[in-house]
Amino acid sequence: MTRWAMAIDTARCVGCQACTIACKTENETPGDVWYAPVVEYEVGEFPNARMEFLPMLCNQCEDAPCIKACPTNALSRRPDGIVMYDQDDCCGSRACMNACPYGALHITFGAEGESLRDGGRTEATVPDKGSARRHQRGTIQKCTFCAHRIDSGLERGLVPGIDIEATPACVVTCPAECRIFGDLEDPTSPVSTYLQEHGPAQVLRADAETGAHVLYVD
Amino acid sequence: MSELRPQNAFMDRFDLEPKVQRVWDVPHATWFTLMGVGGGLFLLSRLLGVTLDLGRVLGLPLVDLLSFLAIAIGGLILIADLGKPFRFWRAVLNVRTSWISWGAISDAVFLVCGGVLVIPDLEITGARPFGSLPWDAEASTAWGRALEIVAGAAAVVVMFYAGAVLAKPRAIPYWHSAAIPLQFLLSAASLSMATIMLLAVLNGAEVTDAELWWFVAFGVATLATVLIHLSSSRERPGKRESLERLLRGRYRAAFLGGVLLSGSLVPLVLALIALGVDGVRDIAGVVLFVLGVPAAFILRLLTLRVGIFPPVRDVLGGAATVTAATR
Repeated sequence: MTRWAMAIDTARCVGCQACTIACKTENETPGDVWYAPVVEYEVGEFPNARMEFLPMLCNQCEDAPCIKACPTNALSRRPDGIVMYDQDDCCGSRACMNACPYGALHITFGAEGESLRDGGRTEATVPDKGSARRHQRGTIQKCTFCAHRIDSGLERGLVPGIDIEATPACVVTCPAECRIFGDLEDPTSPVSTYLQEHGPAQVLRADAETGAHVLYVD
Repeated sequence: MSELRPQNAFMDRFDLEPKVQRVWDVPHATWFTLMGVGGGLFLLSRLLGVTLDLGRVLGLPLVDLLSFLAIAIGGLILIADLGKPFRFWRAVLNVRTSWISWGAISDAVFLVCGGVLVIPDLEITGARPFGSLPWDAEASTAWGRALEIVAGAAAVVVMFYAGAVLAKPRAIPYWHSAAIPLQFLLSAASLSMATIMLLAVLNGAEVTDAELWWFVAFGVATLATVLIHLSSSRERPGKRESLERLLRGRYRAAFLGGVLLSGSLVPLVLALIALGVDGVRDIAGVVLFVLGVPAAFILRLLTLRVGIFPPVRDVLGGAATVTAATR
């Protein structure tokens, strides 16, 4: 059984925010919605102070509290572990937003269909962008590990985590290669081999017991 | 990690500092309060057998009408606050894990069964168009009794579920406690008793010892659950900041004055005095309601406003590790 996961080596991150922008461009999210921000913070005190970075995104939890909280079944977990959302099913209760320990669910009350995408591009003209759809006002949205790229890549015989076109945009874009993606159940996948070599990994908010699939290596 | 200071201007939720939840506020506190008192009015008036002593409107028991009205208005407020209000009906679809779904179903069951239970008593210009139905609002027949039991069971869930919605997820430590739904349930019961006593006063009925004792019992139990919740897991990340905000921060006066003092202690003392002095019972019935309404609302509103997500990074260092080998 496939379990898509992402390892993030925070020691490699240079805080360039390329992943943040790549994600926004790929998913064409509304202006106030950022699926993959990089938190910057200072550690230590002068003269030994330094900047550190924490790339973040939906943790695609094994035991996702957002799915449990959603009253309309607008959130669901695929067999490969990706937590998906369906804006057509969402009633905008925002229960998922308060249930998620990572703040990974977003809602926008901007104009209907607002997104960075403009100029009349459609899925027909940009076939690789499965997420290029209207963002519904008053409903939630979130990172899906670029499920549209994974699915379309798999259909073409590509390997997510290895082949660029089948890999999440943030991973592909990272110049420092701090994001590593792949199948956690496959011991030869990039993410598994990276964790074997550089582990152990940690999860954010382990106290929430969500079974996160975004694993951090320091 | 001696100092953590977030720098990103555009970041609102993902952060390294405690973050206050901002998605639920006054409409939800109103919804919680109305649902609680709505369920409580029906349930407690029937358990005490005073439903028909508290007045009638168009032949229907006033206390039941107020109960239905509170729940209907609470539901409408919630629906209006949804991102997609016309999809409200979908909220019943996840009964497996969502307390909102259970609540929505219970609201509907309560309104339907409660409404059907009292409808035979409807009197318009002396006529009772549904009078031939084999039950009445008093639930004196088997049919009526069955409807009353189903509506009463639904009323318990209606009083309880708002707290359960908050308490189930682990994301906000202040909410993730059995004390929250208990507080909501007991506080709703307390306000419902105060409302029943007010209706008794307005209808010239007697405020009974039983009503006052039940009010005292619910009040003491509410106060106890609040205090136990405040004193447990005080240093837990997230809850620590919630308590700081509640007890020493901007909500100190509202919580200590509005919830604990004038919402709990003063009403308890007044109820105990009323138990011993017959002459003050009518005044007590009114005052307990007047103090109880803001207290119940403020308790719920402040519970929402001190809902704080702990920093995601705070627990990274000491967290259980996860590796490919262990998964």
